[in-house]
Amino acid sequence: MYTVATDQDIQDMARGAVFLGSGGGGDPYVGELYLRRQLAEGRPARIVKAAELPDDAFVISIAGVGAPTVLVEHLVSTNTLLRLLEASQQFYGRKVDALISAEIGGANSMFPLALGARAGIPVIDGDGMGRAFPHLEMTTFSVYGCSVCPSVLMDDAGNVVHVQTTTDRIAEDVVRAICASLGSMIYGSFYPMSGKQAQQLAVHDTISHTLEIGRRIRLARESQSDPIRDLLEFLNRPAEQRHARELFNGRIVDVRHETRDGWHWGEALINSGRGDAPEFSIEIQNEYLIARHEGRTVTLVPDLIAVLDAESAEPLTAEMLSYGQRVTVIGYSAAPIMRRAESLKVFGPRMFGIDEDFHGVEQLVPERRKRA
Amino acid sequence: MSQAAVQPGPRLGIDVGGTNTDAVVMVDDQVIAAVKRLTTRDVGDGVMNAVGAVLDTAGVRPSDLSNVMVGTTQFINAFVQRKHLERVAAVRVSLPKADGIPPMVAWPKDLLEVVGEQCYMVGGGSFYDGKAYAPLGVEELQQAAHEIRRQGIRSIAVTSNFAPVRPDIEQQAAKVLLSVLPDADITLSSEVGGLGLIDRENAALINASLRSLSRNVVSSLQAAFARIGVTAPIYLSQNDGTLISTDYATRFPIVTCSAGPTNSIRGAAFLTKMQDAIVIDIGGTTSDFGFLVRGFPRETATAHLIGGVRTNFRMPDVLSIALGGGTLVRFDGDTPRLGPDSVGYQLGERALVFGGSELTTTDIAVRAGQAAIGDPQRVKHIEPRKVDAVLDAIHRKLEDAIDQMKTNSKPVPVILVGGGHVLVSRPLRGVSEIHRPKHAEVANAVGAAIALVSGRVDKIYDFAALGRDTALEQARQEARSAALAAGAAADSVEVVDVVELPMTHMRTGAVQVKVRAVGRLAAT
Repeated sequence: MYTVATDQDIQDMARGAVFLGSGGGGDPYVGELYLRRQLAEGRPARIVKAAELPDDAFVISIAGVGAPTVLVEHLVSTNTLLRLLEASQQFYGRKVDALISAEIGGANSMFPLALGARAGIPVIDGDGMGRAFPHLEMTTFSVYGCSVCPSVLMDDAGNVVHVQTTTDRIAEDVVRAICASLGSMIYGSFYPMSGKQAQQLAVHDTISHTLEIGRRIRLARESQSDPIRDLLEFLNRPAEQRHARELFNGRIVDVRHETRDGWHWGEALINSGRGDAPEFSIEIQNEYLIARHEGRTVTLVPDLIAVLDAESAEPLTAEMLSYGQRVTVIGYSAAPIMRRAESLKVFGPRMFGIDEDFHGVEQLVPERRKRA
Repeated sequence: MSQAAVQPGPRLGIDVGGTNTDAVVMVDDQVIAAVKRLTTRDVGDGVMNAVGAVLDTAGVRPSDLSNVMVGTTQFINAFVQRKHLERVAAVRVSLPKADGIPPMVAWPKDLLEVVGEQCYMVGGGSFYDGKAYAPLGVEELQQAAHEIRRQGIRSIAVTSNFAPVRPDIEQQAAKVLLSVLPDADITLSSEVGGLGLIDRENAALINASLRSLSRNVVSSLQAAFARIGVTAPIYLSQNDGTLISTDYATRFPIVTCSAGPTNSIRGAAFLTKMQDAIVIDIGGTTSDFGFLVRGFPRETATAHLIGGVRTNFRMPDVLSIALGGGTLVRFDGDTPRLGPDSVGYQLGERALVFGGSELTTTDIAVRAGQAAIGDPQRVKHIEPRKVDAVLDAIHRKLEDAIDQMKTNSKPVPVILVGGGHVLVSRPLRGVSEIHRPKHAEVANAVGAAIALVSGRVDKIYDFAALGRDTALEQARQEARSAALAAGAAADSVEVVDVVELPMTHMRTGAVQVKVRAVGRLAAT
């Protein structure tokens, strides 16, 4: 157990959460400020390992559902979150012992921490994907046997909706439709589970991972060393089946954004400056899904793709990409549980319309390039 | 982008910095005269000194000037140093939403001590589609106004949910406040920022804290020009290097906050006719590094802090290091230590060559024969070995910063501007060539004098109905027309910026498109 006791820790976590967001999940700034507000009022977030909880503990996921562009306007209401927690405990008929994030990448890494701090409930060091994904059912919780339902939704006006569906995929559609009819930003309790399920189904230690990634980048900047090299050294741990590769370095020469069926589709083209044609491309479907170097796939979902500002190593979400930016692209292997065959059936390349088999970044880019 | 600004008649460019006020007179693309004077406590006096001198040198009568362009860092300096700021009230129209993060949550404590922490949250606001989700809290607003009056505050920032889509909600709220406080200065968030409530609210609050200062500075400038007989229209430079009227600057001082570096980078581009380079502006206290890309300053990719407060303005990406002509030089044995402290604007009294008792980088430059200022006899005693060691340290420091600005190892050209350029005497590692244009020491004022006018579009387009290409072309045309309406010459207008922001997670083809077109001021 540890507490998040300084603003700097919170800022490091937020930076790390953008990195793990793989382009999606939204800017965690709103969540970061909300968590800092709790700390300023003397309520630090408490983080526990899943293994520290009793097997029969009661755990739920708290998440915001909606559009990132709406979140940055509507922000977050303490009133709403406390009412949601109250309504959930009533509905499930149990006191909540711990919260867990469903999605560590982006904004939803922060809301459980802030509500946990506000309500005095610990948050588990882990989540359901170790990154960001666009759908509610794209979690290890769902793949390995814990259903997203029954779930409780609430908006800022106090409207409450209970959701019970036959599959988690249908839950996604239903929740999205409810969200659209309530102004495109709502909050919900999802994935009611036991302490034992949390131990077995979560991608572990991901809150600590956001903190460490954010801290690495900050410390490298402060000591004037190369933050991208430092970060790669930290991330690349073959013994733990985690592999990181620097994929490309260049200037964004085109970003195409469009909305297809309510989702952000796009493509970013990057040029190294050695010739006129852009050599590198990243396809975006809310998250960065697939990176290609001269047409050859170098990283694909569920492995992570991070686009960093080339100098500061600040991670950039897909919405932040714009013409002319100098960027470095990193490929990072997903947690081993995310790469199993059962997982790939729910969030492998084919689930995003990419007609390719999954290969890990360490197979696609066997050699680590030395940084100049 | 054509760099040549060709307006008939001489025009005056002024840069009012923290230490120096620089002035140039330009005719077509020629600098006719340039002077540098100390900035004074009353900005008007320093401006009068500089303008009087530069007009004398140029042989131009005040009444002959066609345009006056002023770049100033007064407002940003005031905010960063917490000086001359007024207390403000933050009124947010958002309940029942957004109560978890009240206004000014992440603001630095020393700033809150100056501007206060008067925050009011009232009912009202809009969904993304423009539908109001709650009625405007008229009674709460009236109560807030009475409390604001009791607090003796007269500058208010009003921010409502989705104000860029529904600016009328903020306007309604302002009306209610004005009914109680008829003399209040009200800044509406929709007037200073785009989507992103916190960043927009911060910009509105920064602006509100600068309103009385901007009134004083602008009227002091106007009075100074009137006294010396200048009748030409006066403009101020804003962040993107384009011009705004004095009226607009009085109401929106925040839009001038990064004009200084922008003018210096654009001035350097103009003086060298270069399009791509690193520009180093070496002043008295700091060296500022900017990146010139296709004739414009490279802008920051991410949200950034102004005086410790996050905003979403696009600003030039500038790296500042503590090294200037006034930087103090000390020795640990034979090893030199540079600064970080500087004698700043007191260089003329405290440096050895000016009769002072402190060793500065300027003294070293004089000793090395790189600069002919002050009395070289007073630094003759410094051993050449030590001079070499200091010059090594200066060049290493600049090389490190150049390296940080670059994105690859390819050598880049460097343009040196600012009075401190005399510190550089050797080739720099990673640099292909060093340019020191004539008038480098007043590049800021040149940047102001060649300023452009702009037109902007920030609208939601339906890509599904129009198609991306048609929609973008329509946006480009609208931005061009807006630039023409702002006074740009038709043959000079160019689109310099296109940003597309799709409304994701919603089943529509709506995309927010921001386009900016700029051109030079047309002959009148």
